[in-house]
Amino acid sequence: MRRILATAATAITLMVHLQSVSAHHAFSAEFDANQPVTLKGAVTRVEWINPHSWVHIDVKDAGGKVVSWKVEMGAPNQLLRRGWNKNSFPVDMEIVVEGYRAKNGSDIANGGNITLGDGRQLFVGSSGTGAPYDEKKK
Amino acid sequence: MKRILLIAGVILTAVPLSAWAQTTAVGRWTMPRTPDGHPDLQGTWTTQTYTPLQRPERFAGREFLTEQEMVELTKLVTQDGVDPLAAGVLAAGDDERSQRIQQADPTHYNNAVWLATPQPKALSSRRTSLIGDPSDGRLPPLTSEGQKRAAARRAAIGFDSYENRPLQERCVVWTHEGPPMMPPPYNDVFRILQTPGYVVVHRELTTNLPRIIPTDGRPPLSGRIRQWAGDSRGRWEGDTLVVETANFNDKAAIQGSSAALRVVERFTRVSADRILYHFTVDDPTTWSRPWSAELPMMKTEGRQYEYACHEGNYGMVNTLRGARVADKRAADAAAPR
Repeated sequence: MRRILATAATAITLMVHLQSVSAHHAFSAEFDANQPVTLKGAVTRVEWINPHSWVHIDVKDAGGKVVSWKVEMGAPNQLLRRGWNKNSFPVDMEIVVEGYRAKNGSDIANGGNITLGDGRQLFVGSSGTGAPYDEKKK
Repeated sequence: MKRILLIAGVILTAVPLSAWAQTTAVGRWTMPRTPDGHPDLQGTWTTQTYTPLQRPERFAGREFLTEQEMVELTKLVTQDGVDPLAAGVLAAGDDERSQRIQQADPTHYNNAVWLATPQPKALSSRRTSLIGDPSDGRLPPLTSEGQKRAAARRAAIGFDSYENRPLQERCVVWTHEGPPMMPPPYNDVFRILQTPGYVVVHRELTTNLPRIIPTDGRPPLSGRIRQWAGDSRGRWEGDTLVVETANFNDKAAIQGSSAALRVVERFTRVSADRILYHFTVDDPTTWSRPWSAELPMMKTEGRQYEYACHEGNYGMVNTLRGARVADKRAADAAAPR
């Protein structure tokens, strides 16, 4: 049964992969669609590098302990073209990340959507993706 | 307003690709030339388009969209929130399209935000497929050798090691890099530079060096020397730059090709803001016959940025580590209690 499920999961992954076959790597292989996370924390570091940029944030867990999360974001070149740069995420800026946790179980997530701590969209010029997971949040 | 202008621009330029050269030949535009008299192809260009490589079933027998279809599809794909990585937009039926343009994979970052371009990605021509030959717009059938190779390559993909991961994930080579140069998913910007004796084609989304193509008549490299992007030699045939490439290795795999791959590219400047890019691919060990495709390179503004794929490729480590965690869970679950 496990094998059948694994095969089915592989087939679905392949289908998803085929639909976005052109991305640098299959995020579905790196992140777990069953582990959505919402992280609110202050920026500690930004890695403005290809193929994907990373923002590091300190997040307080339920017990008040600070956990450092690494969040994988999009390719920086496109953002540079739109006038954004590494300094658009200054250290200490509070952001909210809605994404999915890494399958390896560590404190790594994808940066599906990122907003400012006060709820404003970080990336101006977009009125939302219209994607199914965006619609759910409305 | 920008969007209205875009759609108006599409209508004005929505002539079938192969008619461009004729249209512009009688227009007022004059071919810019370098000091040595050749057409000047220099500048910054993009090939971004939702046009698929192969013709979808629903357009069987039709090489071009109607003007009405072009306007409707352009309006659809240039609205806010469309995923620039959306595939199969032309293949989808009318009802299905509104879903197809949305991002399917929630674990990816938000493509509509992160991959948006100043000039929204649209359709670069009325073609229903980039492939124009064979006339059905489809890749020719694979040879039996090509089928076996494709199966072996599929079987080699897995999560045991970085060596099982696709080449682009390893920052070795993207499948779009070619030659032939296919539209990349994003960072679709490249520059062309010309000097006496060379044409340089430098794409942004590349893991290889810029293509430095000699046009001085020198002989090609020995067939014993094999390279990821092959070995290219250029020449001018009238006002068209013709580039022939061979000496590929057996791993680059353009649509499943082998080291026997040969590619002929033709760059023809057809207007102030377009180069018609036509290519023919031949690999008798892979396909039953050669095939050809064409697409416009469109002038674009702005800078080209360094890609440097390896610098931040932590995704590879995370993916393999995730697979090991999954292995351990499966082993624990299967272990006798």
